Amino acid sequence: MTGSLQRVASTLLLVGVSFLLTTLILWASGYRVSEVFSGVIEGSLTATGAATSSIRWAIPLLLIGLGVVIGFRAGFFNIGGQGQFYVGACCALVVSLGWRDGPAPLVVLCGTAAAIMAGSAWSLLPGYLRVRFGTDEVLTTLMMNFIGALVLQYLTAGPMRNPSGTGQTAASERIPEAFRITDGSGVSATALLLVGGVAVLVWLLLERTRFGLTIVLVGRNPTMARWQGIDVRRVGLVTFALSGALAGLAGAVELYGPGARLVTGFSPEVGFTAVVVALVGLLSVWGTAAAAIFFGGLQSAILFLPIVTDLPPPALVLLHGMVALLVTVKFRSVRWRRPGSPAEALTA
Amino acid sequence: MEQILATTLRSAAPLVLVATAGVFAFRAGIFHLGLEGLMITGAFTTVAVGEATGSVELGILAAIGVCMALSAVYWWVIGPLGANVIIAGLGLTSVGLGGTAFALGAIFDRRGSMFTDVVLPRPVSGTTSGPGVIVSEHSILVWITPLIVLAAWIVLRRSRFGLRMTAAGEYPFAARTAGVNPSIVRLQALLIAGGLCALGGAELSVGALHNFTENMTNGRGFIAFVAVIFGAWHPIGAAFAGLFFGFADAIGIQSQINITERVPREFVLMIPFVLTIFAVWLGGLWRRRSLEAEAGYAELREPDY
Repeated sequence: MTGSLQRVASTLLLVGVSFLLTTLILWASGYRVSEVFSGVIEGSLTATGAATSSIRWAIPLLLIGLGVVIGFRAGFFNIGGQGQFYVGACCALVVSLGWRDGPAPLVVLCGTAAAIMAGSAWSLLPGYLRVRFGTDEVLTTLMMNFIGALVLQYLTAGPMRNPSGTGQTAASERIPEAFRITDGSGVSATALLLVGGVAVLVWLLLERTRFGLTIVLVGRNPTMARWQGIDVRRVGLVTFALSGALAGLAGAVELYGPGARLVTGFSPEVGFTAVVVALVGLLSVWGTAAAAIFFGGLQSAILFLPIVTDLPPPALVLLHGMVALLVTVKFRSVRWRRPGSPAEALTA
Repeated sequence: MEQILATTLRSAAPLVLVATAGVFAFRAGIFHLGLEGLMITGAFTTVAVGEATGSVELGILAAIGVCMALSAVYWWVIGPLGANVIIAGLGLTSVGLGGTAFALGAIFDRRGSMFTDVVLPRPVSGTTSGPGVIVSEHSILVWITPLIVLAAWIVLRRSRFGLRMTAAGEYPFAARTAGVNPSIVRLQALLIAGGLCALGGAELSVGALHNFTENMTNGRGFIAFVAVIFGAWHPIGAAFAGLFFGFADAIGIQSQINITERVPREFVLMIPFVLTIFAVWLGGLWRRRSLEAEAGYAELREPDY
């Protein structure tokens, strides 16, 4: 227990250091730190609709982040959440616009199922290459992100484009209001129940089933898992499919919730932020939920900040980068002297 | 055809420079996903310092300095501090992308992009027809890129330093037994990689173009990294892989002009990424033949939590 407490404390410390460094950069660029901080509090909590907006931004982070947790626990660096999120949203859009006069619950159900399947498929291709050929999944999932973004761009600028739309960024037509599970705020009882239910299911799967234990075993030591008769390839494929399914679901929730239509390149950072969220949450379900709400709050604050302090969105990307750079630092491995044992030297 | 070849050289040069950087990192056993961030930092710093001082040479020197400093930070985080190489690398990329976009607003009060008059000299220019087009309008960096690749090959193959680097990457324990400190070797490799990324970024902003744009690297750092794997982490191999990706890019740009009527633009733009997946797949098959390299590679890819 002290071990996990230590990990929580060190993670909090590292996130704190990342914030400090980013604040220093802001301060050096002439922003008044106190204004930025009060702006963040206002934009994420106290302003009208700010708390709702924080939850709205936390929802995709949580869903994609849970997928990252499953993948990382099994030892797979599936960082393709962005692409899976996009193709999920795209498929839900195609179903909803293609069948726009269908019965609302049925269409939404079909659209969500399509999103989940598309997300898993987008993840299973790198997953299959990984378990079958040993192809590095970090690079393939990254490339699938770029391809997914282009699929979205194609749909919103081509077949699904809103012909009456103006402005520089292409956007699709709106889905019928009857299909939506939330209003523009992105938060409703249905959405919260859905996301909460998924989080509980993932928790049950990871912490209370044989499969959850198997994943961790495969992640820690695939060779030993194989010796114990575990089909490592099958476990790998299932975890890839589950990660993709969660990201695809996030895409559907985005469309049926706050979006109602898709815009080229919307939420471009959510996939990477979800990785940061999962790591800050120490790859636990509730930790990820807490981190998602925290980073969702920051996202919401950035949308309010232009009014308050003129802080641009890239500052948030910078902050996420800082956190990612530092969050996996292991304090115990700080060695000021040459390592003593050969085993230590090998991993130094 | 001449136009395609010219565009190939222009698209390939930054890729080849950054791929050479990736080769150094890979040889030292680092799965370097921060190349993209270093590249964009190089592109921005060159423009920023170039604009401030009016000298492109100072801009490039400053870019090399900044990228080396960032590389040193990256080394410190993944080495002595024991952070995960991949996550920290992606973090470095985000710091680069976010930091440059932020600095563009904070320093120059611009959003999106910024034009610059400070550009690299172009040894041959003005040719508009015939085979001369192929070599025309290229910045000086395109011309010296082959020399840099050749130098990298000689350093890695012929110098004590290069051999130590490969040894430290493939089997750190053995290297340590032979009196080589793998950690220091990795720092040196990362510093060289940082400098080369700065050159790649500079070629992008002040070589091929006259501006810096937010996110202008657009995944090139990652594609360069794939070129390293495709080129079997050999400088010459990586350079040819970079040329190939440059060629794919040129075909994409060319067909965007000619055949957009029939093929949607987005599908043409997908080509490099689809090819990249094939490349990683094939490169991975290739890689698995080399068990020694596998040892060093696997050591740095251990999941940790």
